[in-house]
Amino acid sequence: MKSSHKGFADAALFALNVFILVLLMAGDSLVVPQWLQPAGRMHPLVLHFPIVILMLAMLLEYFRFRPEFVGEKLYQSFTDYLLVLGALFASVTVIMGLLLSHEAGYEGSNLQWHKWFGVGVAFVGYGVYLIRNRERYTATIAKTGAIVTVVCLIMAGHFGGNITHGDDFVFAPVMDNSKKLVPINEALVYRDVIAPIFEAKCQNCHNADKMKGGLSLSDQASILKGGKKGKLFVAGNPQMSLLLERIHLPEPEKKHMPPIGKPQLTEEEQLLLYFWVKNNADFKMKVIDLPATDSLRIIASSFLKPAESSEETYDFSAASEDDIKKLNNNYRVVYPLAAESPALAVNIYNKSTFNIKALEELSPISKQVVSLDLNKMPVKDADLKAIAKLPNLRRLVLNFSDVTGKGLQELSGLKYLRSLSLSGVKLTVADIKQLAAIKSLAELAVWDTGLKPADFKSMQASNKQLKVLTGFKDDGKPVKLTNPQLKNTALIFSESYALLLTNPIKGVDIRYTTDGTAPDSNRSALYKPGTVLTQSTVIKARAFKPGWIGSDTVQFNVYKCRYTPDSMMFITHPDDKYKGDGAKTIIDKDLGGTSFGNGKWLGSQKDLEMMMWFNKPIEMHSLELNTMRNIGSQIFLAAGVEVWGGPDKDHLKLLSILKTAAPLKNDPFGLVPLTCQLKTAQTVSCIKLVAKPLKTVPDWHPAKGKPGWVFIDEVFIN
Amino acid sequence: MEKDFLESRLNINRRRFLSRLSLGIGSAALGSLLIPDLFSGKGDEAEADFIAGIPNFAPKAKRVIYLFQDGAPSQLESFDYKPKLRQMMGQELPPSVRGNQILTGMTAKQASFPLVGSFYDFKQYGESRAWISDLFPHIGKIADDICIIRSMNTDAINHDPALTFFQTGAQQGNRPSMGSWVSYGLGSENKNLPAFTVLLSKGKGNGQGVYSKLWSNGFLDSIHQGVQFSSGEDPILYLNDPEGLNRHERRKMLDNLAALNDINYKEFGDPEINTKIQQYEMAYRMQTAVPEIMDVSKESDDIVKMYGPECLVPGTYAANCLLARKLSENGVRFVQLYHQGWDQHNNLPQEMAGQAKDVDQASAALVTDLKQRGLLDETLVIWGGEFGRTNYSQGKLDVANYGRDHHPRCFSVWMAGGGIKPGMVYGESDEFGYNIIKDPVHVHDFHATILNQLGIDHKKLTFKSQGRRYRLTDVAGNVVKGIIT
Repeated sequence: MKSSHKGFADAALFALNVFILVLLMAGDSLVVPQWLQPAGRMHPLVLHFPIVILMLAMLLEYFRFRPEFVGEKLYQSFTDYLLVLGALFASVTVIMGLLLSHEAGYEGSNLQWHKWFGVGVAFVGYGVYLIRNRERYTATIAKTGAIVTVVCLIMAGHFGGNITHGDDFVFAPVMDNSKKLVPINEALVYRDVIAPIFEAKCQNCHNADKMKGGLSLSDQASILKGGKKGKLFVAGNPQMSLLLERIHLPEPEKKHMPPIGKPQLTEEEQLLLYFWVKNNADFKMKVIDLPATDSLRIIASSFLKPAESSEETYDFSAASEDDIKKLNNNYRVVYPLAAESPALAVNIYNKSTFNIKALEELSPISKQVVSLDLNKMPVKDADLKAIAKLPNLRRLVLNFSDVTGKGLQELSGLKYLRSLSLSGVKLTVADIKQLAAIKSLAELAVWDTGLKPADFKSMQASNKQLKVLTGFKDDGKPVKLTNPQLKNTALIFSESYALLLTNPIKGVDIRYTTDGTAPDSNRSALYKPGTVLTQSTVIKARAFKPGWIGSDTVQFNVYKCRYTPDSMMFITHPDDKYKGDGAKTIIDKDLGGTSFGNGKWLGSQKDLEMMMWFNKPIEMHSLELNTMRNIGSQIFLAAGVEVWGGPDKDHLKLLSILKTAAPLKNDPFGLVPLTCQLKTAQTVSCIKLVAKPLKTVPDWHPAKGKPGWVFIDEVFIN
Repeated sequence: MEKDFLESRLNINRRRFLSRLSLGIGSAALGSLLIPDLFSGKGDEAEADFIAGIPNFAPKAKRVIYLFQDGAPSQLESFDYKPKLRQMMGQELPPSVRGNQILTGMTAKQASFPLVGSFYDFKQYGESRAWISDLFPHIGKIADDICIIRSMNTDAINHDPALTFFQTGAQQGNRPSMGSWVSYGLGSENKNLPAFTVLLSKGKGNGQGVYSKLWSNGFLDSIHQGVQFSSGEDPILYLNDPEGLNRHERRKMLDNLAALNDINYKEFGDPEINTKIQQYEMAYRMQTAVPEIMDVSKESDDIVKMYGPECLVPGTYAANCLLARKLSENGVRFVQLYHQGWDQHNNLPQEMAGQAKDVDQASAALVTDLKQRGLLDETLVIWGGEFGRTNYSQGKLDVANYGRDHHPRCFSVWMAGGGIKPGMVYGESDEFGYNIIKDPVHVHDFHATILNQLGIDHKKLTFKSQGRRYRLTDVAGNVVKGIIT
């Protein structure tokens, strides 16, 4: 740098510092013309230069009297140049800053501190530059000057940062930001709902330091004062309120708040502000003082809830991992609520191994247990003493336990208990009065306790957050019973059959008939265990119970079969599609069920003839065919059945003929046993069976004129 | 296997080695950028954000009961009221509404796509005024306890992939089921019962099968696979001792077997051996726990009236709902029901009425029953199928008879309890019930939300298999914040 340049720089520096003094003295009376505003707004850009340059210059200045540097010409003159450059930038920056501070919205203590530290940087820096080449300038002065300048720099930077980014910007990520929990019954609408919205979405620009539009939203007085454009709201009249007008303007509008690019209000937050203003913008109102159906209360409650239900923080420390491990066994599970949470949940299972020890052993973790599940455990009143020793319990399940209402007194000391389940425990109104002492209680499950919702009125009056779950109430409408069930595993028997009819519903009468008629509730036989059948029987049964609708009629066919042929063969073959497993299909004691295509049925449209042989002669009384009727599928009862018998196949006699009535259009689907009774018992070794399908399907059927199908799944010989 | 083997010997693996090395050579700062938890004091767990068995944050729901309506019930006859479809009955589906939606082979060649409105009327229920069809009067009564999501959507258009997608987060079917993930993530609450159980029932409607791959543990430890409870004498196959073997003998046998297995474990270090020992032990305890749960004879008349008398007939949907409550009450983390028969390609009005009758009362009763025991808060109940059905008729359109084809783009499910907002209707479809116009919820979002309610960050619940980490939500999924209390 030529000396003329340096002289110019010196002069400029002097002029700038004088200008700073003028600006400072002018103070508030100064009005910045619009064309100068851009210069002011360059402040945040330019300020980085003096920081870096002055820092470096002051570092050099600090060490300049070290013996090894004193003689270094380059070192000394470089420091000089650096200082003048830094001081110039500092002065320019301060001037810009002062211009900017006169724009609207810059106020508050951060700004004042920033201003004076900034001015300090400029003046001290200039001062050091002026005196550094004097003779009385010593190492001590140099060091002091350097330190003071740097401290001013740092402080000015810090407060400047606070203005643009907000307080605590740098350390916010590592500071504890967790929201304080506000229980709903203590929450104030303004303090806990509205103020946090302002804080999160508005106060970056509308705070005491930076009052954009002349508005600060940081305290009640300034909120009521409003901004440049007037009052913020008309209490009780959201439609006329500026606040709501601005937030409801469409987003592209310039006046929409918060401005584009800034975090926007959620729908819920907009609603909350709306209803708050509508409810007269009260600053002292409690959330629970509002009627339960009030929109503001409903939305505010759900707004507060996340804070309440998200990670609850506990003031106790974690239990030892060894204790937790030791307390876990097959019937008691102890587990942490979440990773890094000190809170523990305990579930206890298995009635037969439960005893009070299971609870008493919890003493090493008594502080940490917040949830205890004793569903259906035989917990006695005496055991509640052990539960009362878990001071931090939030949730307790005692459904269907053996406690009585008398013992509940023990629980009244649990001051954090939020949810208590007592369903299935017999209680009286007096019993639950003992629970009124637990102010924290928010949910009480009392189904099947003998109490009605009205019994809890007084308790709910003193504890407004309490939700009482009384559950299902029989509306008295009769319900239809389920059908009786046949419990026997086999449907085929050889001698006698101990009939087992059941119905899963308690206290049910099962009535049945064996003659094919529908059972009714008084004339038909009442089923009693021990009923024995000795013949093939079609049982029709229904279930009845007072106060209930009787069940449908169900039919069970049971078959007696004393003799099973030793061998058998077809004379004419069944249809290829329905040939089952060959001839033995009908003597395999495997009933075909209701689906004719499952391979357990033999089907034919022609006469089905087959032979059966017995190794030893038998005395035959009857032969029974189990057949299907399914008119929709063109399956009819056999039109005729012939039973032939004799000592061998060459000496057969016609023993019985059976003919069925012509089919009717509305014959129901069914499994129909056809019994061929012999006039007298015959001793036979060989039997021929002929089943004749319906020759022609009647005219009312879609398949009229064609032959019908006959289907047989089993033959029973007695 | 070989890797496990080596690991058990050396107790060190590449990742641990590298992360220690990186500390050693001073690139710790870089390391902490790559692995955010490096300095969190978790030590060796830095490689996994997730400690199996412990939720990431305090859960709202501890258990899930998923009432899966297999075959895909029509949203248009259940929870998505579209009067416009009735007005436009028989008119053609506007191409602008259909957009680029690909159809199934069953209707793609159909010459016309006549719109069809619900055969059943809708009513508004509860304080939430939710529209619910007359087929589901009992669910209508609990409208204020449930959250209906009318904006579900999925990627698959056929049953098997769609069902597999809902259950495992992928369409192909080699991944762990949601229940297995939950069992892996949260562990068991009751050591005497499996953490993940499956119950099947079947309606009379046109059905689609369900297969055990849907409750498979995939690459997770086999202890997490779903255990099927069937109706009848033997609810769990092979659980009962053979005749003539008393409990004492069984105990002795198991002890000796465990000793033998332990020798094997020490020799080979295969973790599956330990799993096996644990499973034998659990089966032993289940031998007493299961009969107690299956016994419905002690249920009161009130319960029978709530669920309907069918709940006492084993194998019915109602019986499974009752059983689901009992299992859940006993700490089973995930109870998965399937009710088959919801695939109404034709004959919809009649078949759907039958299906609805099967499930309506018992589904509602389950929610009420959990609530009255104070358990609904911590139990998440989910009701829904694998996709929706088209707003046009498949096959011939008749006033009282029509069918609907598969529609993945928009359908309805509902949830209750477990920290889900009650009395809410979320999302919206267009007036044709074809496209979502507000707040879509994809299957991945649905999974992320369920895990979130269980205290699990779906991005952290991972398992490394074949060289990559897997999640239930794959690489997608956002928690549906709008339905969470």
